[in-house]
Amino acid sequence: MQEHAIGHELKWHTSVWPLILSVGILFLLPLAFAFYFVYKMPMMSIISLGIGAPLIIISIAGWIKEGLEDAHGYSMGHSIWAMPIFILAEAMLFVGFFVAYWAMRLLSPIWPPAGTPEMPVLVPVIMTIILISSSVTIHFAEVNIEHEDRSGFLSWLIFTIILGAAFLGFSVYEWSELFHEGFNFKTNVYSTAFYSLTGFHGSHVLVGLGIFLSVLLPALAGRINKAFVKSASIYWHFVDIVWLFVVSQVYFW
Amino acid sequence: MSATAFSLKEWIFTTDHKRVGVLYLIGSLAAFLLAGIMAMLMRAELTTVGPTVTTNPNAYNVWLYFHGAAMILGYQIPALTGFFANYYVPLMIGAKDVAFPRVNALSVWLYWMGIVLALLTFVIPDPPDIMWTGYPPYSSEFSPGNTSFYTFVVLLIGFSSIAGGINFITTIIKMRAPGITWNNLNIFIWSILAAFTLQIIFVPVLGVAVTLLSFDKYLGTNFFKAAAGGSSLIYENLFWFYSHPAVYVILLPAVGIIYEIVATFTRNRIFNYKMVVYGGFWGTVLLSGVVWAHHIYVSGMPNWIVILQVFTSLLISVPVGLLMVGLLGTLYKGAIEFRTPMLYASGFLFLFLIGGLTGIPNAMSGIYQQIHGTYWITGHFHYVMALSVTSAIIGGVYYIFPKLTGKMYKESLGKLSFILFIIGVNVTFFPWFIMGINGMPRRYYDYQQFPQFEGLQQLSTAGAVIIALSMLVVLIAWLHGLIAGEKSSDNPWGSKSLEWTHTVSPPPPGNFSEIPKLTADWSPYNYGRKQEEGKKIDEEL
Repeated sequence: MQEHAIGHELKWHTSVWPLILSVGILFLLPLAFAFYFVYKMPMMSIISLGIGAPLIIISIAGWIKEGLEDAHGYSMGHSIWAMPIFILAEAMLFVGFFVAYWAMRLLSPIWPPAGTPEMPVLVPVIMTIILISSSVTIHFAEVNIEHEDRSGFLSWLIFTIILGAAFLGFSVYEWSELFHEGFNFKTNVYSTAFYSLTGFHGSHVLVGLGIFLSVLLPALAGRINKAFVKSASIYWHFVDIVWLFVVSQVYFW
Repeated sequence: MSATAFSLKEWIFTTDHKRVGVLYLIGSLAAFLLAGIMAMLMRAELTTVGPTVTTNPNAYNVWLYFHGAAMILGYQIPALTGFFANYYVPLMIGAKDVAFPRVNALSVWLYWMGIVLALLTFVIPDPPDIMWTGYPPYSSEFSPGNTSFYTFVVLLIGFSSIAGGINFITTIIKMRAPGITWNNLNIFIWSILAAFTLQIIFVPVLGVAVTLLSFDKYLGTNFFKAAAGGSSLIYENLFWFYSHPAVYVILLPAVGIIYEIVATFTRNRIFNYKMVVYGGFWGTVLLSGVVWAHHIYVSGMPNWIVILQVFTSLLISVPVGLLMVGLLGTLYKGAIEFRTPMLYASGFLFLFLIGGLTGIPNAMSGIYQQIHGTYWITGHFHYVMALSVTSAIIGGVYYIFPKLTGKMYKESLGKLSFILFIIGVNVTFFPWFIMGINGMPRRYYDYQQFPQFEGLQQLSTAGAVIIALSMLVVLIAWLHGLIAGEKSSDNPWGSKSLEWTHTVSPPPPGNFSEIPKLTADWSPYNYGRKQEEGKKIDEEL
């Protein structure tokens, strides 16, 4: 064939993970949500989660392995360009949420609206301190990579993950306390905005932890992709900055 | 190991941009077909004043929902920013692939999952019936349909778009072959850069809007519940903040394709390249975020915002006008050759002219008060985004056909399809302006109060049959070309652009035998006209 004479690469590149990941996402989010909330079939929802979650975990693990082995000869150095673009999109997501919140707040005749309990002050301060410290620790982790200090990098990374997990722990604690006081999604417009913004930010912390784990596990086996670590760290700083908006707008305004 | 032997595994697990592109094309044509069937059902319903094919108004609403959502999210955006972007971008900039091939494959499969979820509309007992706009409080409180599927279709396809945007912007910035600068990039590449910039900025806002719908309906939050202090205006503003720029996400790549076709078939340079790029494409991007309120003039907002947005809405016709001036200037004194793609390009110009001119009065709030919610509006947006862009997409596929398949379609079938198309669309949609200006409201399935429009509605349905016929001819032309077409040379059009000059048809894995190295005077539109001659023509204009 003509192509054989001219092309250097004779094989089509393939990867099984994108398709499996997409199928996993379909089961984990839309189907599980619809089964539970729309059709009131909790059993089907659990089955759907049971199909989706393993598919996602397997495909992400496979994806990372493939990437670290660089089976296709693709350079990963581009991720440092991609991350800022992704963060722009993420920032716009939060802009959407904040606009909805500000609109409700400015339309409201009284604030906080009826039904709002005394909001905690100490917990958000602690959470802020934790998250800011975690931004510092991930920075130290990066510095250690530059100095080729693998064990230093690992310990700072693990420390960051612990801080992130602690943040989520406080978040869960606070939510359950407030639920206990009868302050839930349905209470009023403030509860609506409060849970949406903190929950949406929390989901980003969770994703950030997932990204760190996918850096940590290969790193324990001695494989580190510097560009990827840098991108992960930029993402974490972004999540941190968004929290400053959340805490100042939702708790202390 | 033959690169041409068919292997299912190599297709569904592919990370090659060309094959990912073809997967997008298959999905978008399937969505186009289904959405088209919905349109035919609605046209059939409207042939008589009362109920015709169904007595269930809700069925009509489901068709309307599916038609809009599938045409915009399933067909147009993926055909343009999926298929054409994937196929052209690496080839035009002389790259082996996109920056993140596996993310690219993830994009296409997430889009396919969105299609799968949308198809469940026809299986579930409670299909969404909320139009593609999904306005609350109907969608978030009263609709018997499954709003969450609408939310997730948008989220899946939206995330796919964002991943695609990150991928393509990085690719265009980082992976251009040596010698390809910002001043000799193909116009289509600029259009894709502009479209994805819009997607990155605006899609997330749509994502928020539709997420909040499901939050309200299923988790009990109060964003759009007026009784609890929320406001459905929040949704309308968030929704149109994305969905107006979405028009440019669709329009700009379509214009980009038309530029490629026109330059090739006129053997001409691009008239005022920098004006087109910076004034046309980036001017549109700059203004696109401040015109959304013209969709909701009557929903309630302070007058000063209305007045401001009247001005910005009228102003955005300037950059769009520059794009058209560039096209006309490129046609001027060109050696025009009316092959099928060029016919579709001229069809685009005509349809966009009608669509654009009928849009100007809509921007003025005083006139809009009278015509909103009528067939005038539906007529306008069908011309400006449905018909003109479809003309660009189909023409674009004819144009790329020899590169895509290595074979040539039959010119007579191509021309026949265009003639049927241009007659069909005008017979179908021009009567809408007449009905609209006389007061026919949109979205009605039973128009007892307006029996005087029955004749025009029937004319419109007759036109729809012609469109269906033309699409059948398109399908036959493509299938015939694919199966029995004559073998095409690598550059049948005689274009100067990289994808035609530097690689074979169809391109092999890795695209080029080696990364092209281009000299400083290279241009994808360098058709050997002398510089002075070009300048002289520019001065004449």
